Amino acid sequence: MKGRMIGAFAGLAGLAAGGFATATALRAQEAPTDIKIGTLYASSGRYASISMPVHYGLKLWIDQKNAEGGMYVKAYDKKLPIKLVAYDDQSNTATAATLYNQLITQDKVDLLVADSGSVLTSVAVPIARDRKMFLFDQTGTGAAFFTKDNPYIALMSDPASTIWPKPLADFLSYDGPNLGIKRVAILYATNEFTGTQANAVKKFLKDAGDKVEIVFDQGVPTETSNYTVLINNIRAANPDAVLHLGYAPNDIAFLRNLQDNGIKFKMLFCIYPGLETELLEKNVGEKGLQYVYTYVPASEIKYDVNFGMNLDQFKDAWKKKYTDGKVEFGFNSVAGYTTGLVMEKAMSVATSMDQLEIRRAVFSLSGNLKTLDGTFALDETGGQTGELMPLGQLVPDKDGHIHFVSLYPHENANGKPVYPRP
Amino acid sequence: MFSARFLRDAALVVVPVVAIMAVLPSFYSNHLLLFNFVVFLTLAQGVNILYGFTGYLPFGYVGFFGAGAYGFSVAVLHLKAPPLAALVAAGAAACALGLVLAPLLRLSGAYFSIANLAASLAVLQIISNPNLEDITRGPYGISLSGVFNPTLAYGMALAVLAATLLFVAYLRSSNFGLALQAIRENLFSASMAGIDVVRARMIAWLACALVAGFTGGVFAWYVSVFFPETVFGAEFSIFAIVFALFGGTSTLLGPIVGVVILYGVYNVIGVSAPQYFQLIYGFLIMALVLFLPNGLTSLLQRRGIDVP
Amino acid sequence: MLAYTLFAGILFGLYFSLVGLGLNLVFGVMRIVNLAHGDFLMLGAYLAFWLYTLSEVNPVAVIPLAFALFVLIGLPLYYILVPRLLAANDPEMLSIILFFGLSQVIEALAGIVFGRSERSIPGGELGRALAGFVNLFPGAKMESGPVEIFGQTFPAAWVVAGLASLLAVLCLYVYLYRTRLGALTRAVMADREEALSTGIDTHRVSAIAFAIGIALAAIGGVFAPFMLGSITPAMGVEATVTSFAVIVIGSLGNPLGTVLGGIVYGVSYMLMQSYLSSWANLLPYLLLIAILLVRPSGLLGRQVRLA
Repeated sequence: MKGRMIGAFAGLAGLAAGGFATATALRAQEAPTDIKIGTLYASSGRYASISMPVHYGLKLWIDQKNAEGGMYVKAYDKKLPIKLVAYDDQSNTATAATLYNQLITQDKVDLLVADSGSVLTSVAVPIARDRKMFLFDQTGTGAAFFTKDNPYIALMSDPASTIWPKPLADFLSYDGPNLGIKRVAILYATNEFTGTQANAVKKFLKDAGDKVEIVFDQGVPTETSNYTVLINNIRAANPDAVLHLGYAPNDIAFLRNLQDNGIKFKMLFCIYPGLETELLEKNVGEKGLQYVYTYVPASEIKYDVNFGMNLDQFKDAWKKKYTDGKVEFGFNSVAGYTTGLVMEKAMSVATSMDQLEIRRAVFSLSGNLKTLDGTFALDETGGQTGELMPLGQLVPDKDGHIHFVSLYPHENANGKPVYPRP
Repeated sequence: MFSARFLRDAALVVVPVVAIMAVLPSFYSNHLLLFNFVVFLTLAQGVNILYGFTGYLPFGYVGFFGAGAYGFSVAVLHLKAPPLAALVAAGAAACALGLVLAPLLRLSGAYFSIANLAASLAVLQIISNPNLEDITRGPYGISLSGVFNPTLAYGMALAVLAATLLFVAYLRSSNFGLALQAIRENLFSASMAGIDVVRARMIAWLACALVAGFTGGVFAWYVSVFFPETVFGAEFSIFAIVFALFGGTSTLLGPIVGVVILYGVYNVIGVSAPQYFQLIYGFLIMALVLFLPNGLTSLLQRRGIDVP
Repeated sequence: MLAYTLFAGILFGLYFSLVGLGLNLVFGVMRIVNLAHGDFLMLGAYLAFWLYTLSEVNPVAVIPLAFALFVLIGLPLYYILVPRLLAANDPEMLSIILFFGLSQVIEALAGIVFGRSERSIPGGELGRALAGFVNLFPGAKMESGPVEIFGQTFPAAWVVAGLASLLAVLCLYVYLYRTRLGALTRAVMADREEALSTGIDTHRVSAIAFAIGIALAAIGGVFAPFMLGSITPAMGVEATVTSFAVIVIGSLGNPLGTVLGGIVYGVSYMLMQSYLSSWANLLPYLLLIAILLVRPSGLLGRQVRLA
């Protein structure tokens, strides 16, 4: 009996492992029938709301290419249809690690695309490096990912967190004092993304010679959902400008609590009114977003593109494809689409499907590729240094509808700051 | 010195399991999947040590796992320890946490589980606090690319698994294990019979912590880039518990079968029907409790079969 | 600053009493750990959101509807899940797993129906309800907007949620201590076996308690879009953990204990947020553990929880 049990166990183990082995093990030497792009998304859990728009943006690009008969691949000198292999990691990093490896070792994808956000991207970094697969990092801005000794990664659609807030900090340092901004309050959520931005702001302010004084500087857990007491404390510090650096739910709670308490700061900066304007409008209302300073994302600026759809075209395509409104149009959807464009452009110049050649092709686009996300530029480690978002303000027109006014840097500006807010 | 039962368990279960997991990487290239199997095989046995032999359900088991991962990382980053020495630090960190949390053993039933869950969340809050950036890197994440060595890390994971399995086999065949089970069945008659209840529980508790700590250490080594949320994810606790219960606790084979079937199914769903992943898995867990509360092995035990 | 923090903590804590109230009842009566508690709260939140977007139903009007609806859901759910569970060897432990599975199912279904992004209801709605209510009284005149209490200004939503919480506690108290069914419920709470042997239909009593428990969670959910910033299908887990902190700090069985637990939680959370903000989320966990170890019966409790 015991022998049988062991045999049964061994069989089970074999079965479980064997189930994952896909039949198509060998890659064809000649032009394959398709190009396989492998990626993960999170349909549930804490990262679902940032992952799904990015994934939908990428899918939109794929469907569009396939409708055109595929993507031109120079290595085979022909158009090939794109096959998407996408798994759901459910925001679980251990599952994500397994699935990244599944994409590489079993599905043998040609191009590997990370899930959205730093946490779900993080586990892919060492795996891609170990397996010598170039990782198309969509929005994983973690500073630890980009090192000189790892050639197998580049950031597609977000600036690295360490340089992202430069326009904001420079505006405060150089334009702030003239407007009367002398005292700055910083409230940030203690996660990698917004924590790094808070540190970067402080560093830039210091580098500029401490032209403004930081009178309030506190971190709160990312799960924070009620800011009433903190808002009261910030008000007690009497700041001229308040910077709230948090994820979308943090911004929603913060802005709603301001409204609920009837408090208006002279200048308020938040990240997500710019990045996910539609989502924030739904949750906070247009009124709650009036005069808020934010990053002006690619989903709002009509960059001149030299490749792919421009913003208006993309927005139309998005509204046509995703009609149920469950995933909002916003910066993240642009990010996913941008990843697709970078891959497409890189495939059109890479002379082989070797992963280091793909890296060379991607890096060769640096400074030359202009998409709806801005100018694609990489530093030597693969961190994104282009696509920097200007600082802007959401200003209401006479009907109360808000629109973006770009403020800093001055060469992108199309208006003057409204300070203090009425 | 070793009882016949121990030798039988070791020969029939421990040796084959470890051998299979040792050779599978040569036949199957998704090594991370195999590694995760080893991790959950070990963690499920860790749960088994505590729940199967003392009745305490460690709902915040991941606290030890995360402590191990960070113990390993801090040793590598700050003490420049070689990985094998850092693994000792991983075990030590988990044991230290186990000692701090030892008073929780005074609680019974669900109170223990809830307090344990709260403790694991508290440890996460502490480790990921930016004020501790100099020690733990706070929320900014760990990168251990300097010691990256998946082959060796997999080997060490196997060693931890082997040791854990042997310990469970020992519990099943020794007076100490019997004493623990006596405590579980009836606290008072056990202490009347002269069993040092506090000491026996403490040993099981620390052993359970140590297993998770070592596993967390090899996990950190293997994945090498991670955030606090990665190694303190509640899924680790829940998976380990569900797998152990599904197979059947206080046996050696139960948790193994549980991991192989349930984690196997989990991965198959993940690859074949990802859009209903969470739904299917939720239903599966509910069905398990409602229709198989004592685990798969209980089906055999009911027929009088002595499951290893 | 201190006074504001304390007041805010009390109001905030009152809301969390409501959040924990149902969990207390379910755990107290059945000794099962309803890990899906927060997910019922989430469903209540989406019910309010859905009705508001559909035809601008004021959330206050959703409360009786949510209660009725979730009692109707809770009764059959009890009979499907709990009797089988109680027949097992170690129901208290197994319940953790069973209800974790249920929580996954609920979250998945909510995600499929409502999507995964944040949703909310305009913050003024509760203020409008409050002003409308106050203005019913002759001579009263109130604008909808922030409410002033003792010279401090608070969001109207906090006041409404706090009042609703007190009302819910009162109703539960009356149910438990002034009705026959409530007396039976307390008997089951005190000792299930004994209640069974005296001929009480424990399943009927428990089923009603279970249904009321999740209905209370759903009512707490109606206020969630106002108290917790926004709602998502994944919000349940945190609500569950917080609820546990609240009911453990208070005491089991006694609804007044939950109020005390909520207030202690609210005040200490707000104090932390004010003075040591980055550690604010550590506190509920430490409080929970400390209370269990130092005063295992909760601040107002008598039962013993030691092994």
